[in-house]
Amino acid sequence: MEQLILSATLNGILLGGVLALLVFGLNLIFGVVKIIHLAYGQFVMLGMYIIFLLMTTYKMNIFIASLISCIILGLLGILLQMIVINPLLKSPRLNQLLALAGLIIIFENMAMVLWGADYRGIKLFLPVIHFGFLFVRTSYLVAFIGAIITLLGLNLFLNKTYVGLAIRATAQDLDSTQLMGINPKWVYLITQATGGILSGIVASFFMPIYTVHPHFGSAFTLMAFIIVILGGMGNFLGGFISAFIIGVVTSISAVLTSTEIADSIALIIFILIMLVRPQGLLGIRESR
Amino acid sequence: MNATSFLKRKFPLVILLLGILILPLLSPPPYLIHIITFIFIWSYITTVWSYMGRFHLVSLGHGAFLGIGAYISILLFNYYNISPWIGMLLGGMGAALLALILGYACFRFGVIGDYFALVTLALGEVVALIINAFRDVTGGSLGMTLKSVGTSFYYFQFEKKIYYYYVSLLFLMFALFLWQIIDRSRIQKALHAIGEDEIAAASIGIRIIRYKLFITLISAFLTATGGVLYTQYMTYVNPETLSGVGVSLAIPFKAILGGMFHLWGSTIGTAMIVSLEEYIRIMYGARFIGISQVFYGILLVVLIIFLPKGLYGTISDYWQKRKRISEEQPKMKLGFFGK
Repeated sequence: MEQLILSATLNGILLGGVLALLVFGLNLIFGVVKIIHLAYGQFVMLGMYIIFLLMTTYKMNIFIASLISCIILGLLGILLQMIVINPLLKSPRLNQLLALAGLIIIFENMAMVLWGADYRGIKLFLPVIHFGFLFVRTSYLVAFIGAIITLLGLNLFLNKTYVGLAIRATAQDLDSTQLMGINPKWVYLITQATGGILSGIVASFFMPIYTVHPHFGSAFTLMAFIIVILGGMGNFLGGFISAFIIGVVTSISAVLTSTEIADSIALIIFILIMLVRPQGLLGIRESR
Repeated sequence: MNATSFLKRKFPLVILLLGILILPLLSPPPYLIHIITFIFIWSYITTVWSYMGRFHLVSLGHGAFLGIGAYISILLFNYYNISPWIGMLLGGMGAALLALILGYACFRFGVIGDYFALVTLALGEVVALIINAFRDVTGGSLGMTLKSVGTSFYYFQFEKKIYYYYVSLLFLMFALFLWQIIDRSRIQKALHAIGEDEIAAASIGIRIIRYKLFITLISAFLTATGGVLYTQYMTYVNPETLSGVGVSLAIPFKAILGGMFHLWGSTIGTAMIVSLEEYIRIMYGARFIGISQVFYGILLVVLIIFLPKGLYGTISDYWQKRKRISEEQPKMKLGFFGK
């Protein structure tokens, strides 16, 4: 039993890394554009399909395929901002939410039309490492390391470059930023492009782990949201930490009970934390 | 107000109601009756949702109440043979209890706006997961079929669709009537003030928690009864169609596209969405699998972008604006030339 729980904890930490990866782009868009990007999971799904397509029909290397899918998703993010989100910037939050929920319908069914409902995966055999009774899947480990590298890279981008500073300034105070001569429209576009690229990165790390199908995105979206809000909207470190909390909690309770109960425990923890700290674990409470 | 002036004022409404009442007597195709009944049931649920929604209490978790009502009733009936009418009451009470716990916690700790929406979204998913987890009893995601007893009013089961048509119409009319009652009461004024600015409302002595809980409990209770109504009509329940994120988002979708701040908004929104869905499914569903849904999604996004107040909301605001302008016109002329 202890062995089971120990290996569940290890798996939970690795799952946390995967979830953390998923959360970065969402967190960025949340913090800057201040919209709830419901269709983010569908972006990842599209990215995985693009990689799959490039690798099977055009026989590309996984690295090149991932790069191309990042570029395509970045462009898709810009398109999304221009066509759907810009007209809705001033409208109520609920309307934005529902427009993005409409996008879920569009993306999922488009994938269904283009690629059918089958589960698609690439043949990529990564070994399973084991230390005594602990088994570690290398694909999870790669995603875990990828999450840390992405976090560091994102930190560099947001803290050291001019564009990154503009993005952070827009997230903190829109009005003052405009006074400083930064056009928020451009910042939003760049943010969406970055978010799209991040979802492409997620897709490339997910490709060895999961098989993709049209409803792949919706399985992750709610969990990803919960992690973002738990950590504090727009707070990367908070998102990173809460991804591990959720990962460990779900995998341990899935061993002890069932996966449904595990997921509902994670959701109930989320609800309880929301009641006590609505700004999230590391968030700063906004004054109204 | 005497009878004739009432008739004159509400003329289109009376005609519409008479038309709806007479329609089944003209022996229309059963499919039409089915769609209209479906619209009635979902309009009822959506109207009940907008009791809360119109005061900026946006709940994205009404699927939780729907699921609880439906499952309590069907489990009691299938296993213990308890009449769904009692099940409806108990299911409503179960949903209201959940709403009381969560609502009190949320309102006590000041969880408002987006955070309230997200907490309720999680709630809807929790209920769906729990229904799935107890699959030995509830059937899990395979769903559960209602035991058939033929036509029996006591067990709220009818073999003909017509009965459901009238019953769900009654439910919908009750919901609209209750909306009117709330609209004319002090509760509406208090909740309106709370929705505009909570702190200001509290400072003039409005009991925020009490009013918000009141409307949440009513909404939860009635939503659960809507779940039972749906169960009895479809004779099949499934956690995907009754709770979880999908349906929890579909309800506000209908309300917004109709115009959730207006009495008829939810009904019109539901009628629009359901008939659109059915039309696209029937006309293009078989020929282009999937593409029809893509069109539907695009249409929804376009509608949200261009009609942010909803169909009925936009039209009714436009009318009121025109009316105001035509009333102001003579005065303006007086102002310019009268003196």
